[in-house]
Amino acid sequence: MSLRTERTWLANGWRLLHFGFLTYLWIGFDDAENTFILLLLLFLLTSLRWRFELPAAFLLPDILICVLYFPYTSVSYYALALPIFEWAQRGRWPFSLLVFVALGFVPFFSGWLLWYFALALFVGFFLDRYARNLEQWKKEADEQRKARQELERVKAELLEVQRSVSKQAELTERYRIARQLHDHLGHDLTGASLALQAHAYAEDPEEAKSLLQEVKSRLERSTHSLRETVHDATPVAPIGVENLERALLHFQEIDVSLRKSGDLLSVAAYQWSLLEACLKEALTNIVRHSDATAAEVTVQVAGAIVRLLVQDDGTPRENNAQSESGSGLRSLNMRARALGGSLSTSADNGFLLVCVLPLEQEG
Amino acid sequence: MTIFYFTLKRSFANLANLIFLTAAPIACIFLPAGEGWPPLAYGYAYFGIVILFVAIRLAQIMMEDRVKGILKRLSVAPVRYFSYLGQHLLAYAVILILQSAVVVLGGWIAGQELHRPWALFALYVSFSFAALAMALAWISVFRSKDAAFLFYMSLIVLAALLGGIILPLEIFPDLLRRIAVILPTFWFAEGLKSIASAQPFADNVRINATLCLYALVFLVLGSTRRMQ
Repeated sequence: MSLRTERTWLANGWRLLHFGFLTYLWIGFDDAENTFILLLLLFLLTSLRWRFELPAAFLLPDILICVLYFPYTSVSYYALALPIFEWAQRGRWPFSLLVFVALGFVPFFSGWLLWYFALALFVGFFLDRYARNLEQWKKEADEQRKARQELERVKAELLEVQRSVSKQAELTERYRIARQLHDHLGHDLTGASLALQAHAYAEDPEEAKSLLQEVKSRLERSTHSLRETVHDATPVAPIGVENLERALLHFQEIDVSLRKSGDLLSVAAYQWSLLEACLKEALTNIVRHSDATAAEVTVQVAGAIVRLLVQDDGTPRENNAQSESGSGLRSLNMRARALGGSLSTSADNGFLLVCVLPLEQEG
Repeated sequence: MTIFYFTLKRSFANLANLIFLTAAPIACIFLPAGEGWPPLAYGYAYFGIVILFVAIRLAQIMMEDRVKGILKRLSVAPVRYFSYLGQHLLAYAVILILQSAVVVLGGWIAGQELHRPWALFALYVSFSFAALAMALAWISVFRSKDAAFLFYMSLIVLAALLGGIILPLEIFPDLLRRIAVILPTFWFAEGLKSIASAQPFADNVRINATLCLYALVFLVLGSTRRMQ
């Protein structure tokens, strides 16, 4: 139910009760037909306020009509409770208090009348506060939702940038290797090939010997250049599954075994960083929340996916506390989803974490 | 004023409507007078019930538009909802005013004792407005045309009974007599009494003004737009 609808229902409920009360007073204590006309007039004004958005000043006709009926019926005094309520529920309770002045003109003192006025003021004031609070909460919820959406957008952008940078780095490195091979290796091998062809047609033994020497020196340079290129291209820092192995090497709390299968080179660098984070989170959770003494880590590349499984040998948890993911696992889950994959955990049979990511298809 | 003319045509398109709109008022003219009660001839009291019945029959045309989805199509047409509502109500009001004129004029020609024909005509017109507005408010609550009509028929009979059109109010207990003041039919019956007993003109004005107040109240309540 929307804010405005709920507030309207409450206000309309009060208005109907008020008219019901006035009708009861009229039927029970004052059955003059003219009093009914008062009620009809007030009902008309209230209907107009219900149907259209009218300003607060539109309550003045209500008060005027009630004042005109003062000499004829006491129901008109009780009818003043409606303007009190309407002003209070619009946040203009000082005007409501002004209506209390009418009590000074009542020829009879009635505690009920004072109580009824106070009740109308309280109900109107309560409705106003309730509506304001709801509006405030709604505004805060909207702002939080916006901030969350902005955060998700930034996350998605960062992941995309990470993917793009990884690709760019790969392309740059391939270009560098290709250029190096072309500039050095390519020329030397071509020269050696031409010298061998010339050697086949050489008649002078000295010339033939010199050509052979040139082929030898070119081949030596090519080998040296190739060795250098391979040495430069080979990364010093661990990449890919080596990162996982290094992480497990430094993990001494429990015994962990690693099994790997499939073409691990097809997994992109940015995917390895997520898999490494998942592994570390899983191992941390096992140490903190589990009674396991050993764990098995499996990395599988099959078809178009890469799957990381971490399973420990701990006992099942009754309240399933682990499955109510902490912020770490939630964050990793969102990162996995942003890459088109998934992350799921289970505590039914020890702790199990499964992270599945799609591989990028070539071409 | 296309909607106005079209509504007039539609009002007479239905055979049942045609009979009620033409035959019923004429039949009211020739009903005999009672002894002591009702204050005017029976037909002139029962014509109030006919007005209520005709009002709901006419208002059902608008309900048909809503049920058939015509209202939804109109919402994208360059026709404002208040224009649509106003032209419909104007058409219905014209029909009821003409009926009232036929009944009063017919009674005057037929020699019925009407006491004050102009006051009677004004009473019928005010009551027609109140009946139309009540019918409008009623149909705005319901989704089904048949349910709206059936419930309203029961309401008409109850209101006519309690209001003093079918039976004199004096035979009812005090509490029911007090409650009856809430009903528009009570004011109609009071109007007939006032005309027959030659009450001051101010009394007639008060009664007609009250009926107009009813019309305004129900018009405000029934003017909310419901698309289905």
